[in-house]
Amino acid sequence: MDGAPPTRDLSFAEALREAMDIALAEDDRVVLMGEDIGVYGGAFQVTLDLVHKYGAERVIDTPISELGGAGVAVGAALTGLWPIYEFQFSDFSTLAMEQIVNQAAKLRYMLGGAVSVPLVYRMPTGSGTGAAAQHSQSLEAWFGHVPGLKVVQPSTPADAKGLLLAALDDPDPVLIFEHKLLYKTKGAVPEGRHTVALGTAETRREGRDLTLVASGVMVDRALEAAEALAGEGVSAEVIDLRSIRPIDRDTVLASVRKTGRLMVIYEAVKTLGIGAEISAMVAESDAFDFLDAPIVRLGGAESPIPYNPTLEAAAVPQIADIVRAARDLAGGVV
Amino acid sequence: MPTEVILPKVDMDMSHGTIAAWHVAEGAAVTQGQPLFDIETDKAAMEVESPADGMVHHQTPAGTEVAIGTPVAWLYAEGEEVGPRPDGAAPAAPDARAAAQPLPQDPGVPAADHRAQPAPDQTPSAPAPKTAPDPPSDLRPDPTTGGLRATPAARAAARDAGVDLAAVSGSGPRGRVQRGDVLAFAPRRRAPSGPAVPLVLIHGFGADAGVWRALEAAVDPSRPVIQLELPGHGRVPAAKIRDFKDLVSRIRTEFDALDLPLAELVGHSLGGACALALADTRAPRVAGLTLIAPAGLGPQIDGAAIAGVARASKAESLGPWLRGMVGAPAALSDRYIAAAARARADAGLHAAQSQMAEVLFADGVQTFDLTPALARVGCPLRLIWGKRDSVIPWRHALRAPGRAALHLFDDLGHLPQIEDPAAIAALIAPVTTTTVGRAVHA
Amino acid sequence: MPDTPPEQVPFAIRHYDAQTLTRALRQMFLIRKFEEGAEAAYMRGLIHGTMHLSIGQEASAVGACIGLSAADKITSTHRGHGHCIAKGADVARMFAEFFGKETGYCRGRGGSMHIADVDAGNLGANGIVGGGIPIAVGAGLSAKRLGTGAVTVCFFGDGANNEGAFHEGLNIASVWKLPVVFVCENNKYGMSTSTEKSTAVASIADRAAAYGMPGLSVDGNDFSAVAEAVEDAAARGRTGEGPSLIEAMTYRQRGHSRSDRNRYRTKEEIEAWTARDPLPRMAGMLIDHGVLTEAQVAEIEAEVDAEIAAALDFAQTSPDPDPAAVTRDVYTVV
Repeated sequence: MDGAPPTRDLSFAEALREAMDIALAEDDRVVLMGEDIGVYGGAFQVTLDLVHKYGAERVIDTPISELGGAGVAVGAALTGLWPIYEFQFSDFSTLAMEQIVNQAAKLRYMLGGAVSVPLVYRMPTGSGTGAAAQHSQSLEAWFGHVPGLKVVQPSTPADAKGLLLAALDDPDPVLIFEHKLLYKTKGAVPEGRHTVALGTAETRREGRDLTLVASGVMVDRALEAAEALAGEGVSAEVIDLRSIRPIDRDTVLASVRKTGRLMVIYEAVKTLGIGAEISAMVAESDAFDFLDAPIVRLGGAESPIPYNPTLEAAAVPQIADIVRAARDLAGGVV
Repeated sequence: MPTEVILPKVDMDMSHGTIAAWHVAEGAAVTQGQPLFDIETDKAAMEVESPADGMVHHQTPAGTEVAIGTPVAWLYAEGEEVGPRPDGAAPAAPDARAAAQPLPQDPGVPAADHRAQPAPDQTPSAPAPKTAPDPPSDLRPDPTTGGLRATPAARAAARDAGVDLAAVSGSGPRGRVQRGDVLAFAPRRRAPSGPAVPLVLIHGFGADAGVWRALEAAVDPSRPVIQLELPGHGRVPAAKIRDFKDLVSRIRTEFDALDLPLAELVGHSLGGACALALADTRAPRVAGLTLIAPAGLGPQIDGAAIAGVARASKAESLGPWLRGMVGAPAALSDRYIAAAARARADAGLHAAQSQMAEVLFADGVQTFDLTPALARVGCPLRLIWGKRDSVIPWRHALRAPGRAALHLFDDLGHLPQIEDPAAIAALIAPVTTTTVGRAVHA
Repeated sequence: MPDTPPEQVPFAIRHYDAQTLTRALRQMFLIRKFEEGAEAAYMRGLIHGTMHLSIGQEASAVGACIGLSAADKITSTHRGHGHCIAKGADVARMFAEFFGKETGYCRGRGGSMHIADVDAGNLGANGIVGGGIPIAVGAGLSAKRLGTGAVTVCFFGDGANNEGAFHEGLNIASVWKLPVVFVCENNKYGMSTSTEKSTAVASIADRAAAYGMPGLSVDGNDFSAVAEAVEDAAARGRTGEGPSLIEAMTYRQRGHSRSDRNRYRTKEEIEAWTARDPLPRMAGMLIDHGVLTEAQVAEIEAEVDAEIAAALDFAQTSPDPDPAAVTRDVYTVV
């Protein structure tokens, strides 16, 4: 392909690490902060060995002080550094809500545009690892509800790299939700500097009969479901949101205009979440006139994430759930 | 004093009739002679005209079966006070389902009709609930009372095509009209162009609009042609048919939605029976009636062929039945049979057609008799039959009244319009030129 | 007073030139009269919302900032007018912000609680108790990483010393030896709750021991004492010795906010502290040591009165923000 950079297969974690490596090498102002991100390499080994290359002054182990750490990142961003702060689990961001929501998100606005807060919070997220209720949540919609924050959720190694570098280039605070089940998944990743513009969705599979909107780990599940549905004669389009805020309205609406049927798939608790937002987005737009069936939201159970593996799987949409719901939607049973 | 509107006796052995539909809304004005409501009886459906001028009040709801001579509405003069029903009765409920819903009535007027008694869980003195309970989920809400179930895409398509959504049967859950339902409906609603009276074609059991393709090619191309498809056939979604009346009622709804001032009806086989029933209740709008091997004129029918066609989903199973229906098996090409089989691929369609066959042709017998309606036809009428018809005996044609034209073909079978489309087209052609501007039937 | 023994000459007189001392007195007058003007405008219904007055605490604000350059940073609190003026802000733009005007420091988006003057090194007041503490630590991290030599003075009240952010922030600053001076303005009450009721240690300065940094309690109404303590602490910070905690004992003569009914403190207590008002003490010290004459002090006061009147006029006649611009400055890049 002309002009396209060569790619290699990297894992999702390796792609994130490569992005940070590039950023650290490019600019002295970039610093990594987080619990056990140095010689330990981070809870999910995403920052492995970076401390050896860039030193403990730039790959900084923080005390177990999420509020302090997240806030130090805000202050550093305000005064000339470009911090990437890793939460060990995105669940722990609840300890730092004050700094993320009251400070990082609002400072620019409160100060009438006098400052920017260029920082990235990395958020290992999601269920499926047997870590139970306090280490498995999907909180992206919480943060997506806060003006001043940007929220992205990659589904492939290439996007993980591209979105992390784009997040770092962006002058505003960005939270990148990295699904823990994706860290070891492999995919082709462009070499060198590769960015994916924030707020751009990607149509992963073209289809005719219905639109499946997903992000993060749910994209692969939606794609597998779409493959199974194709065998039944149902043609599903799969849209990978990639960004939760800003959200790529145009891509979603164009697809709904084409298929007339919409299903939103997400791991987070179903109510008051991304599904509601996208449904409302369609209902408020001219794409409404193209809807030929009610919108279906396939979200997580109205419960904390349970420990037992069978229960844990039951609490979030699985491929079979998507196939079943999509079949009903396409078949006019909904 | 208001004028009583009663359920008239319209058939010889009729004791009860069902109000199929009101043409005039509660409280609206009518003039004498204006179509007021439709009655369905065991045998036929009839339009009843208003006996006087006035405002219609206290209508008995559509779907209610009442004895002949029973008042079903009153006509009030302009300015006349409308109190409780003059006969003191509560309005009857259309059926058991509707009876569970409180109907609007004056508080304090005792419910005289047991069918309108409150449900057992309501005390008789309890005030009526402020909001009516949701209609039963398997009933499509009456569009005249609001709440037509249709998707936004269907609504948009209906707007674009100028289609009245209420006329479209919905194939979605709870009767929801979907975009495909409108598209399937809309192409058949081509606005007539020029002075020619449109032909409205109704196919027979187990077929679809495709059965007319050869005939359509043979008729004058300037002539508007509109095809109605039976429920559960072609692109019209499946629907459980209770009886012949129910089938006709659905066809009538579709016909009404076409909003044609005048049309010539051509019906084949079961579609012929439907066309005849339609001509009976929509006489003022029917310029001519052509019945090709129609059902409804005698009890005999080939039950095995009907059941076989209903079940057939492949060319291999459909072909023998169809070839058995025609005078010369070569009249049906393999391509025709393959196309007909492809159109029958949907399993839901088989179920719907088998159910329809059981109701209409139970035990290989035609369960409905339209000979009284045939006698009543006032417009130009012709019957076309092939003497080799193995499905319905051609001799049923002999029950036609003397003024009808009979066209009997020695070598044709049950599908004359496919077997010799040019001959059939030639028969249909003159009617249009001679019947434009024909007088309204007596 | 040439006959005073040198060791009895206050630090400020020894350390600062007459021009600096005159500026300090002028700033203290400016704070006092700014807040009195704001209070009057509030009572006339010209300002909406609420405000937290620091009348009586001017010496700690000005004493802590007098030795700072524009490169040095401060983080401030909801009771932050004094800090802002002490760091060099223009009272006209401050009043404009109070009046919600487009010419205000935050273009009318922040109000009293979020005034910042980033060019002068004021990273902003903060509506969250303790909210500025991690941010100050982050500014310290930037200064250290970027080698700017700047220090950050982190103001907070006695109430903040029981927030998690205080403990996390002080610990991180100390572990990383950051150039931060934590200045606790102990005015005895967190809203209505006294430090005796809220705080387990007798002196908040004692908390410093837990974080391995020096802790010093000083008379917060004594300009010289505050200035001396902060100069020492700033010098420690600049030479890489890490942070310090200074507790400035002071008193707010007004209530917590405009809605305070003063039910939790006695008239006698208020009168006793009013007798220790820092302004006459500062003026007296400068007159006693021959820096200014009484006439010069009166002249400064008159100048300040004129500046306040002009500032109020500027604020009142400034344009309101355009309602269409309500979402401006939520993001740097939309």
